[in-house]
Amino acid sequence: MWTPQILDKRSSYDDLIAGKIPALIIPKVLSKFDCTSISSKILNMSKINGASTKFGTTLSSHIYEKSKYFSNAQESNKILKNLFFEHISPLILMRQKISELLKKKIYTATENNMFYSDAIIRIHGNGDSVHLHRDNSNFEMSEYNVSRIENQLSAILYLQSPDVGGELTIFHKIWNKKDEMMREPEFGYSADLIKGVYRTKVTPVAGNMAILNPKFYHQIESISGLKSRITLGFFFGESSKDCLYSWT
Amino acid sequence: MTDIIWGTVTKIITTNSFEMNVSHQKDTNNDSYQDVEQIHFTEIDIPSIPVDESSRDILQIEQNLKDKFVKCEISGRNSENRLVCSVSHSGAGGY
Repeated sequence: MWTPQILDKRSSYDDLIAGKIPALIIPKVLSKFDCTSISSKILNMSKINGASTKFGTTLSSHIYEKSKYFSNAQESNKILKNLFFEHISPLILMRQKISELLKKKIYTATENNMFYSDAIIRIHGNGDSVHLHRDNSNFEMSEYNVSRIENQLSAILYLQSPDVGGELTIFHKIWNKKDEMMREPEFGYSADLIKGVYRTKVTPVAGNMAILNPKFYHQIESISGLKSRITLGFFFGESSKDCLYSWT
Repeated sequence: MTDIIWGTVTKIITTNSFEMNVSHQKDTNNDSYQDVEQIHFTEIDIPSIPVDESSRDILQIEQNLKDKFVKCEISGRNSENRLVCSVSHSGAGGY
């Protein structure tokens, strides 16, 4: 059965890379207490910043604006450091878990002595959902060195669970270059691509980390209720035998 | 208002033209367009494609445009029946 696995051994990582499993769930990376405390700080910061729904930057926002991406990345890395200053850094905990699991050190990727964005916090509120997409920088981010990193995976730490919904649905269909014909102009792909395709769901449990192979099509189901879905995420991949590099 | 079409680049013809499968057309376009159109691009937002045409080569255009999903803002048709467009990348397939 193609279903998320709660395992913490190296073989499950290999299965994830090979697409034999859709996701790995690593429970209790962060305690409920720390999740609540950090989420409260994030929501306060969001209010101060005009109900901002993300902290951090991404390559996809700057596909052909490299200098702007790196300038925003330096800024957002500072914001994240300040945000986690008084807490156990969830970013460090995520990296430690991945490092333990894969027996490799993990660093934020750099290019021309500039750091890529460490991570991104996303807040999805009542009525929000994220349309069908795939995340993989190999194809369309060719301006960036990380596009050449192999075996790209996505790590997401759930900081706050929504009241209802917000599940990550992963479809048993891997992106293919030909699928670009099914792109939507603003973001993602036509839902026609996944008609009749087997799907599985990851429930956003606060404190759990999900690692998924982002070449598989996925989407976030609609959220309802007063509590937002808050996540911290980044991509990572193998650049050498000993090291992993991360970015957003 | 400028007519806009979107689609994937299927074939590079010259260093300033390509063929594309048109998958989307703006609702308020004045004209309608074929499922397959040839595009002559006068501007492009991909930095790896030099502005100066004499510095371009087909391979370079292929590496940067083939199979990519692009947005074409149309200013007319030329004598070769190609749409004259300003071309840019459109959105993203994911985060």
